[in-house]
Amino acid sequence: MAFFFQELVNGITTGALYSLVALGFSMVYGVLRLLNFAHGDLYMIGAFVGYFVIQWFGGPSALTIPVPLLLVIMFVLAAGLAGGLGVAIERFAYRPLRDAPRIAPLITAIGISFFLESSALLLFGAQFRVYNTSDFMSFSSGIQIGSVSIDSVQIMVLVLGLALMVGLRQLVSRTRLGKQMRAVAADREAAEMLGINVNFTIVATFFLGSALAGVAGVMGGLLFNQVTATIGFIVGLKAFTAAVVGGIGSLPGAMLGGLLIGLAESFITGYISSTYTNLLVFAFLIVVMLVRPSGLLGQAQLQKV
Amino acid sequence: MKGSVIIAATAISALAVAGCGSSGSSGSSASGGGSTSCVATIGMEGPLTGPVAVLGQEQLHFAQLALSMDNQANKTKISLVQGDTQLNPAQATTVTQQFTSNSKIVAVAGPAGSQEVEAVGPLFGRAGIAFISGSATNATLTTGKYPTFFRVVSKDSVQGPQDANYIVKNLHPKALMIVDDQEAYSTGLVAAMTPVFTAAGVKVDHQSVSQKTTDFSSLVAKVTPATTVVVLPWQVASNAQQFGRNLAQQHKKALIFGTDGLFSPSAFTISSSYVSSFGPDITAISADAAIASAAKAKYGSFGTFGPPVFAATHVIDEAIASVCKSGQTPSRSNVLAAIKKTSEPTSILGQPISFDSSGDLVNGKFFLFKINSAGKYQLIPG
Repeated sequence: MAFFFQELVNGITTGALYSLVALGFSMVYGVLRLLNFAHGDLYMIGAFVGYFVIQWFGGPSALTIPVPLLLVIMFVLAAGLAGGLGVAIERFAYRPLRDAPRIAPLITAIGISFFLESSALLLFGAQFRVYNTSDFMSFSSGIQIGSVSIDSVQIMVLVLGLALMVGLRQLVSRTRLGKQMRAVAADREAAEMLGINVNFTIVATFFLGSALAGVAGVMGGLLFNQVTATIGFIVGLKAFTAAVVGGIGSLPGAMLGGLLIGLAESFITGYISSTYTNLLVFAFLIVVMLVRPSGLLGQAQLQKV
Repeated sequence: MKGSVIIAATAISALAVAGCGSSGSSGSSASGGGSTSCVATIGMEGPLTGPVAVLGQEQLHFAQLALSMDNQANKTKISLVQGDTQLNPAQATTVTQQFTSNSKIVAVAGPAGSQEVEAVGPLFGRAGIAFISGSATNATLTTGKYPTFFRVVSKDSVQGPQDANYIVKNLHPKALMIVDDQEAYSTGLVAAMTPVFTAAGVKVDHQSVSQKTTDFSSLVAKVTPATTVVVLPWQVASNAQQFGRNLAQQHKKALIFGTDGLFSPSAFTISSSYVSSFGPDITAISADAAIASAAKAKYGSFGTFGPPVFAATHVIDEAIASVCKSGQTPSRSNVLAAIKKTSEPTSILGQPISFDSSGDLVNGKFFLFKINSAGKYQLIPG
């Protein structure tokens, strides 16, 4: 039973990460009907920002500021820079193509993804950058229940991930900006005629989605330690899959899809074999798509943003 | 009659051309003595960017160092063309196509990975270009299918059983986990090691993860208390580092035993782990002091991936020099023939270099290191 709970914790932690990135995919698709393939690269940018913040404050084993303050700075800066980059991408790459055939922004998104990856390679080099999280966040500071270990990084990722998901849900369902997002997602032209500032709403959506990817990047760096220019691709692919399985455009769907993929990976690795993880995870997802082509929560139109 | 005249004329012309060539080569032969230049171009394939760029850059630096020292010693003018394979067979194929279509290139040092050799072996074979790897250790590469392939390191059929025997005899595991990373290098080693474990009655849990995986927490959860050793025949050291962190995170006590792909004193530093290496620590070989200090002064710290490429480049340089000394102009065929005849009584690797008929290093061996509590690699004697 302990093994089951250990894999459950591992799966939920990884799933929370996928969910955060998937939320951004879903939000952007909701308002623009655009598959933003550059989204995974914003995760990579966030991870790099976190890494450089650690180095700026003395490195993992010789921090010059308290760890909680370091974490706040890492998350805020990563969210801000990834969010700002997302806004810039929208303004200069996607907005000029807003009324173009849908294939044009799709190809642009792939191009932006390569551009960001290559830029990071040139700027930061090809070698792995390592967070060395255990140097400043000890594994022993977590929770040990029997033989189930939940370390402090996993707890932080779970709590922060959940808080962000709940916060985003509240923002979309209860605030004026959220209403505007839902209106633009439902019918952009009608929303504009009703006086909603569509450009501002889209910019805000891009900022929020990209900021979430940036935060997820720091979480990934803290959890998995390694940062390179190419880490965004796999995470982006899995997050995209999570968004589609959950029902693209649906925020609860993106959260559910991310968690499902994280849990499926974890349990298949644990109970069957790591050899078949990707094969079985994607086979399971194909079955889900065959049974519910619009995704698990894809028909919940009221949830779209 | 008319035909006989044509044949005779052709023969006389051929003799005249041969004579001119011979005369020209004499000049070249004299060049071996240092009066004129022995000019040639060689290629170097390695992962100069990408996940293991650190290793590729080290290989490039040692190739450049060997070239510079050999050019000076042999009074040759050999130049180097770099090719970035990113440890990716597809990229290695593209680079190799560029090399084979460049008629100036007479031999190549590299590529690094066994999977890349599998991809480029037929291309180099068709072009008749000798290529010498300093790190491709998969045993199946030298079964005769790539007639122009050589390596200055030992093969996995030596490393696998040697490492497995060490584990069985010295670490005494009752159960172990062995995880391949779904690349030819890794699966080849698993195949070489597993029979030794099963013959010794060790319970083996064989797992497999993609080389792109960075989260091993689910896999580590499967490491039972009875599993005292986890064997990682991987090529990305930072992945093994993360695996070690996941073990510590879940309070698992199993030791990591890595193969030569994990030899990276800067990236893999999990205390009490073992790592084998096809290359020795040349800083501990007194005869290599000049090379080691030159490399450190020029490029900074290094591991064990660079020195074998130094050896590979040196073999090519010496082959070219011997071709020039014999009065010929270096070509793909005569350099290949000269490489086959290589017989160096000593080398940077602390052992003689000569090749058997399938391109393997004669009497090659592996070296074993243990990582101490400070993260430093210490050679295990024997």
